[in-house]
Amino acid sequence: MLKFLEKLHISSPVLLHKPGDQVAQELHACIGCNECLLACPALAEPITIDVLNRETLAGPISAPVARFARACYQCGACIAPCPVGLHRDAMMMWLKVRLLRSSSVGAVPGAYPLEE
Amino acid sequence: MNDPTGEKGYPLLFFSINTKWKIGALLTFLVLAISAGFYVWYSQHSSDAAPDSIAGYSYAILGTASLLLAGTLYSIRRRSHKKRALGKLNTALHWHIFFAIIGLVLIFMHSFGNLNPRTGTYALYGLIALVISGLVGRTLDHLIPRLIAGEVQQALTARGEDRIETISQKVQALVAHNTEALSSQPIAVNFADFSSRKQQVMQHRPQTSLEYEEDERPLHTPWDLAYISLEATPQELSRLMPDKHRPLTPSAALMPGAQQHLVELHKVQRAMQREHFYRYIIRYWRLLHIALALLTLGLITWHLIYAAQLLLH
Repeated sequence: MLKFLEKLHISSPVLLHKPGDQVAQELHACIGCNECLLACPALAEPITIDVLNRETLAGPISAPVARFARACYQCGACIAPCPVGLHRDAMMMWLKVRLLRSSSVGAVPGAYPLEE
Repeated sequence: MNDPTGEKGYPLLFFSINTKWKIGALLTFLVLAISAGFYVWYSQHSSDAAPDSIAGYSYAILGTASLLLAGTLYSIRRRSHKKRALGKLNTALHWHIFFAIIGLVLIFMHSFGNLNPRTGTYALYGLIALVISGLVGRTLDHLIPRLIAGEVQQALTARGEDRIETISQKVQALVAHNTEALSSQPIAVNFADFSSRKQQVMQHRPQTSLEYEEDERPLHTPWDLAYISLEATPQELSRLMPDKHRPLTPSAALMPGAQQHLVELHKVQRAMQREHFYRYIIRYWRLLHIALALLTLGLITWHLIYAAQLLLH
């Protein structure tokens, strides 16, 4: 089924997730221009880009950022406007995985940081 | 009050009701209630309950206007280079959903229950399919990223590293360790030693008629002459793995723990394949929604031309 879909793809193939070191690299490269958030159809409430980047890297995740992370449906609209060529969708996926792992039994909240 | 430990969890079925959602739901309910109320009143008090009655035309005009707004507002807003505030695109998406649902209900009321096989009925069916595809798409957008996150979790280690790379390194270390145990000579685990040994073999090869470059590397070295050592290399995993077809494989070649690593590697690969598949679902459902929109637009245009012809003649 996957091969059939791959043959059908008209535009570029879908990009999979990025590992933690690449996400950290991209977060550090972010210039904070906000273009990705302005282009996002899933963002319902104002969130500052520095808060988003900080909470993606490490530490506890605030309620608005968590809601945004859950609402993100990986449409990729945030990739094209980025002047630095970063992948905000991969960073959001990292946030999703952190949220998912935080719900595991015995998990430490705010764990799996990209930086200590 | 904010929890100092932060938000936790990512349930499969989550729902957050914000002000925008409440306003949208209230507005939708209000418009539907007014339309339904008028529909019931008109059906009971008028003998001309038909798509081409005054009420029918009113519903048709309002429904078409609503559908036009649904089809254009969000697309224009998304492509506009005008500076917008954060969250405005999400608001535009909610309006898109609102106008689409209202448009469908108004067009349905415009039919006044006449579902004969005419152009209007086909347009209505197309519209129903379009709105349903939109609602299913919203549900998929809700569920599938959560499923993708579950697969990504499997593909990453606890520290967020690529699990395939980690497993490959472990397997390579196992092969190196076992190969060292099999032969007394230490083997090269990096490519620098590998290429230096290759050069040693090349020096002792008989001369051929091949042309050589200045540094004595042949220009067209056949692949089978590239390396002719009989020693096991780190890449030749199959010679060291237990092979069911070769019962004479010495038991010393079995790598304890390698099978578990390979099983884990297979699981991670399957997780990545599923992630790939889920991402394609999101992409292609969007394409389906756009295709249905174009089809519905064509059917509505056909119906409008047909209705105009009826009016003019």
